Amino acid sequence: MDTLGSMEIHSESLVNRLSGLANEARKLIVEMAATPTGCHIGGSLSVIDLLLGVYSKYGEDPNHLIVLSKGHSAAALYACLYLHGVIEENPAVNYGQDGSLLTGHPNHKLPGIPFATGSLGHGIPYAAGWALAQKMKGVNGIGVAIGGDGELQEGLCWETAQIVQAKGISNFIYIVDCNGGQNDGLVRDISPYHHLRGMFESFGFLVKEIDGHDFEQILSAVEPDPEKPLAVLAHTVKGKGIKAIEGNPHAHYAKISEKIAKRWRMGLK
Amino acid sequence: MSLSGREAYKAELAELACENDKILCIEADLGGKNHAFQQRHPDRFLNLGIAESAGIDMAAGLAEGGFIPFFSTFASFAALRSAESIKLAMGYMGKNIKIAAAYGGVSGGWFGTTHHCLEDIAVLQSFQNIRIACPHGEAETRKVIREAAASPDPYYIRLSRNEVFQSLDRAPEQSCREIIYQQKEIEHSHLCLISVGEQATELCKQMTEKDPSLLHAHLVYVDSISLRSYVKELKKVSDQFLVVEEHRGTGGTASYLSLLMPECKVYSHDCGDKWPSYGGDHADVLRYLGFGLEELKGQVAAIGGRNGI
Repeated sequence: MDTLGSMEIHSESLVNRLSGLANEARKLIVEMAATPTGCHIGGSLSVIDLLLGVYSKYGEDPNHLIVLSKGHSAAALYACLYLHGVIEENPAVNYGQDGSLLTGHPNHKLPGIPFATGSLGHGIPYAAGWALAQKMKGVNGIGVAIGGDGELQEGLCWETAQIVQAKGISNFIYIVDCNGGQNDGLVRDISPYHHLRGMFESFGFLVKEIDGHDFEQILSAVEPDPEKPLAVLAHTVKGKGIKAIEGNPHAHYAKISEKIAKRWRMGLK
Repeated sequence: MSLSGREAYKAELAELACENDKILCIEADLGGKNHAFQQRHPDRFLNLGIAESAGIDMAAGLAEGGFIPFFSTFASFAALRSAESIKLAMGYMGKNIKIAAAYGGVSGGWFGTTHHCLEDIAVLQSFQNIRIACPHGEAETRKVIREAAASPDPYYIRLSRNEVFQSLDRAPEQSCREIIYQQKEIEHSHLCLISVGEQATELCKQMTEKDPSLLHAHLVYVDSISLRSYVKELKKVSDQFLVVEEHRGTGGTASYLSLLMPECKVYSHDCGDKWPSYGGDHADVLRYLGFGLEELKGQVAAIGGRNGI
């Protein structure tokens, strides 16, 4: 894996704070997996560090926009928004329940969610369009889309990549949670990418590859380039943090018992 | 000289953009040369290329960023290829996007079935909260574009190809959301023709000239909200309706009106269920589909038209 050329050093306290939040978020995700509906636990645990890192950088400034395009990881998004104080309701209590806006895919009627995702691919052009609007208005605003590597099988992602380079939308950041899994198995078995970095580079993106669980690397990577749109290929582990399911492609969706949830929570720091 | 609907769209939008700097014109590479908007407002003209679904989603982002994006391509590519983007961004999330869809119905003629769209109204009517407008002629098209720009609602505006028509008379202050009638005196009729779209309106004009006992009501907006708003007025003018629409019978305006007015008889003159596989101009393809004056006369006679038709 390539490392970042110039690593901005972030304060130890910020990284420590994010590590603590990540631990809390993982506990919430496990709790959501123990609700009557269960949740998409594998991808939520792979993307949560990316979400927390990006939110700490851009989430509290309304001049920027963040979209989780791999909407099946809603549990991670809700946990992130809750821990950042954007939504007040603890998502582990009513996730997926009748009368709750905490639906299994992100609900735009909740604060902090600009676009209802879940049908894969749509969040990418939405964030790019929003970034283009900022560029046309001449204001500084970064549009960030967080997608998955399975999601890249959707043509919409590449339609957008083409438009982004054609229109020079350099204030657009596309983060790919490369956890290697998708609903029915492994990306490499179902529809592999032989040179993902090159694919993005051929679309005119500046590409950075990082460890998607390392906050130093996440925070350093999500700085836009003044000339080119940025793709961050974040290598992650499906089910990260829960030893029983780490790297298991079958952990895409899980409904677990309270007993298992308690054990998994205790395994977290 | 009058303009076709799609040229009227470009011209009117270019005019409106002089007054409103939020208006954007987005094309998916089918805007053609000498585009009126592109020439007058190049900084707000975006050809996003042949990427319709991404184009609608990007338009949603542009709308969220404060613009009023008008997105244009052919009806089939807008309504069918981008259907999910429209459902989510415009229907569910209500993003303020306006789609101007040229080549509605079979106006694409010899370009073939890939370039025809006889299913768009069925698809769009099922996505709630999107205004669907089918203007007839230049004046009505210009008025619909102004209404769309002034409204916070998402819009789907169905246009044809290059044919030029004279719109029915409408008072300057009268919204296109109001039903207009070809007859000056509106009396209860045994049969009311309802026209939707350009060819249908022309047919109904010809039909009522041949049979003055028929009433001709012209609808521009055919989304479910608009159709519900027409019911009370329509029931005052007749209890039998024949909807004329260049569309499939399934899912068209007649089918929804029949649900809204179960106590009335609602018939449909439509393009049936055949796939047009032959060339020819717009009129030729319509003839193949059984959509035309002779067929309409026969249908009126079967329903119980008067004056020997």
